[in-house]
Amino acid sequence: MSFWRSSFARCGLVLAILLVGLGTCWADPRTSNLWWMPENASEGGVYIDQLIYFILFLTGIVFVLTQIVYIFFIVKYRARKGVPATYSHGNNRLEIIWTAIPTAIFIGLWGYSNHLWWDVLHSTPPANSLQVGVAAYQFGFSFQYPGADGKLGKAEASFVSNDNMFGNDPSDPDAKDNFTSSVLEIPVNRPVHIRLDSKDVIHGFYIPQFRIYQDMVPGRMIDWVWFTPTKIGKFQLACSQLCGSGHYNMKADIEVVSQADFEKWYQEKAKAVQPQPGAKLTSVTETKDQ
Amino acid sequence: MSQTIAHSGAETHAGTAHHHELSFFNKYIWSEDHKTIAIQYLFASLFFLLIGGLLAMGVRYQLAFSGQPIPLIGSLLPRWLVTDAGAIQPQGYNGLVTMHATVMVFLVVMPLLVGVFGNFLIPLKIGAPDMAFPFFNALSFWLFFVSGIILLSSFFVPTGFPAAGWTSYAPLSANGAWNGSQAGQSLWCVGIFINGLASIAGAVNYITTIINMRAPGMKMFRLPLPVWALFITAILLLLAVPVLSAAAAMLFFDLNFGTSFFEASRYGQPLMWQHLFWFFGHPEVYILILPAMGLVSEMLAVFSRKPIFGYKAMVYAMAAIGVLGFVVWGHHMFVSGMNLMLSSAFSFSTMLIAVPSAIKTFNWLGTVWGGSIRFTTAMCFALSFVSMFVIGGLSGIYMASTPVDLFIHHTYFIVAHIHYVLFGGSLFGIFGAIYFWYPKMFGHMMNEFWGKVHFVLSFMFFNLTFFPMHNLGLNGMPRRIADPSLYDFLKSQQPLQIFVSLSAFGLGLSTLIFFVNFFYSMFKGPKAPRNPWNSTTLEWTLPSPPGHGNFPVTPTVYNGPYEYSVPGMDQDFLPQNQPAPETARVAVH
Repeated sequence: MSFWRSSFARCGLVLAILLVGLGTCWADPRTSNLWWMPENASEGGVYIDQLIYFILFLTGIVFVLTQIVYIFFIVKYRARKGVPATYSHGNNRLEIIWTAIPTAIFIGLWGYSNHLWWDVLHSTPPANSLQVGVAAYQFGFSFQYPGADGKLGKAEASFVSNDNMFGNDPSDPDAKDNFTSSVLEIPVNRPVHIRLDSKDVIHGFYIPQFRIYQDMVPGRMIDWVWFTPTKIGKFQLACSQLCGSGHYNMKADIEVVSQADFEKWYQEKAKAVQPQPGAKLTSVTETKDQ
Repeated sequence: MSQTIAHSGAETHAGTAHHHELSFFNKYIWSEDHKTIAIQYLFASLFFLLIGGLLAMGVRYQLAFSGQPIPLIGSLLPRWLVTDAGAIQPQGYNGLVTMHATVMVFLVVMPLLVGVFGNFLIPLKIGAPDMAFPFFNALSFWLFFVSGIILLSSFFVPTGFPAAGWTSYAPLSANGAWNGSQAGQSLWCVGIFINGLASIAGAVNYITTIINMRAPGMKMFRLPLPVWALFITAILLLLAVPVLSAAAAMLFFDLNFGTSFFEASRYGQPLMWQHLFWFFGHPEVYILILPAMGLVSEMLAVFSRKPIFGYKAMVYAMAAIGVLGFVVWGHHMFVSGMNLMLSSAFSFSTMLIAVPSAIKTFNWLGTVWGGSIRFTTAMCFALSFVSMFVIGGLSGIYMASTPVDLFIHHTYFIVAHIHYVLFGGSLFGIFGAIYFWYPKMFGHMMNEFWGKVHFVLSFMFFNLTFFPMHNLGLNGMPRRIADPSLYDFLKSQQPLQIFVSLSAFGLGLSTLIFFVNFFYSMFKGPKAPRNPWNSTTLEWTLPSPPGHGNFPVTPTVYNGPYEYSVPGMDQDFLPQNQPAPETARVAVH
């Protein structure tokens, strides 16, 4: 018995070194946020982070336990003279246990995830949401804000064209005073309800700090995405869906500012607007030929 | 279960020795012998593995050393790929990414598992002289080979490789003006279509052979697990691949004949492509892992000298994966813009499909438990398969959870996940299986020492390459971005990117050890005995390599596939074709 005990000790040592090493490698990025999740900056992101840590905890335990058992078996049951293998075809009770427990865990996890998906992340956007239209094209983003009336107006994917990037309904007066911006300027702590469309191919609306991703699909007006930024600062919107030769550099700046600063920016922009349906983007043709 | 009797007489095709000497062309080029076809598949897909690996090196070079000319060969590469100075261009990078994945999925892992081991093992393991349709089988290989040449030929067209990703999402892929390589994308469609025909021909063959040509006594529940895995895989192939072929044809029409199946500006449906692609694509994921699971199960049993733990549970788990595999495709599309309710449903089915994978893992642990483990190179790869598959499986749970997917979808987290399953899983299983069945294929043993060196280096560099990718993804790095340093929130990643790339180069080099061992052993390796691993299944009762027609006398099967260490026997294995001696206490199960 001392034989396997000593090799067990050896194996334990290797395992311990591995665990400490891996732990150190992970602890550093974990504490510095260098190679870990970027600091969350939205309300919904808090819940997503909780869920991620919950799954990390769950899968971490399963991983460590199965690997410890596995490595223990591999070391303990390596071929030794005069020790035959156990003749066993299995055990039905064990099969039932290790079918039932994972099933229960996975259904529970689904319930948790699905609750978050419906009741938090995709609940009806609050009435005080700031409406912003987001249009994507090869290779850039543009943002449309409601004018003084606070309404973006109706939009449909079938109206999307070079002259009407956001697909505004030409017959809807609410859209006449909308204005556009190349920067996504949003106030902190106020829900932002975005309406996404694409002019040509599929693009991705991805802001890691907000824990948000939604494809922008040509021919489809996607209006269920909303989020509430909670930190003032500059962020970047990255296109995360391969969209052609300029994909690698398709991005836009996001500025989350205080409510007062936003109001100032908004009033200036809204005043300067000439009412016209949608907004023509001259930059479209310029960037196309990159 | 009724038992199929394939041959009434004892004398078989191989036994009657009536066949004349074949010409070189008929013996090696247009061969209808399943073993030769398997070896043809092996050579072809190892060649494609080299190409796919080189493409991956290009991808990793760009991510670590963006904008720097590729040393030595940079200036020789075509201009769609590199700048005049020899640095990779963004469009060229998109092409590299696209073709690396296309080659690895369609020309490497799928043919290695299904083409090589499906062809080689099915007839030998069930006691059949050949496949049910030998002509179809040869046709399948040559269609596959032609599809590979067509896919790779886009390297030589002026606009270069297709550049819309291996998933070829429409409408980017459906319009040459948008994706930048009309010709490359068209060749992709043709290549994938023909590749699909090859898969369908193979699948029909496997299903027919397994159902009709089992030796007397080879009941379904006496089939070795690789055969079960390949049987279920063949059914998946038959149902899933035609959908991809049809979609590829439609995409080709969109590209070249002005139809608009997928282009929104002309009332097509971009999301339809995704549904068609993933309806194929998700069963495909299981096509790429199930056979490896079967091969690994067998190696674990052989080298633990134990019956497989929970044989029937293993079979039922694979069948469950096969069925559920057809109703989970939407989990690739949680953020695609499809109805949110569908995401809920697909999330549920995806959570369920994790259960059979868990069952298999526990049964592998059970198989190793109480064993008498021999650490051959094949066993090392098989053992590491289980651990790598556990990591790949557990990381899949993150994506199955819809809210988490909002954050990590299309980041490097998913790249890490797929490589843990496809490289650490499938390819490690394949490496193990090659070391294991090489003696039967070529009549020589591979070098164990260099095999171990290959294993240790691959295992180490594999983890160093792909584990940090989880961190890159959680840090917010989108996949398929040619130059992450252009993004403020990705700038701090550069040291890790370089680390990953250097590890990837190490991984690439360590694979070369395998190639040298593989070709050297073919000529200089020690002669292989009939049964070098003391294994129970039928192929090991034949000479290495087996002759044309396989079995001189049709074997009769008396036992289950994994009767190792049966109490009351002198030797620790009971071959399937030998009745148990009086003294043996074989468990009835």
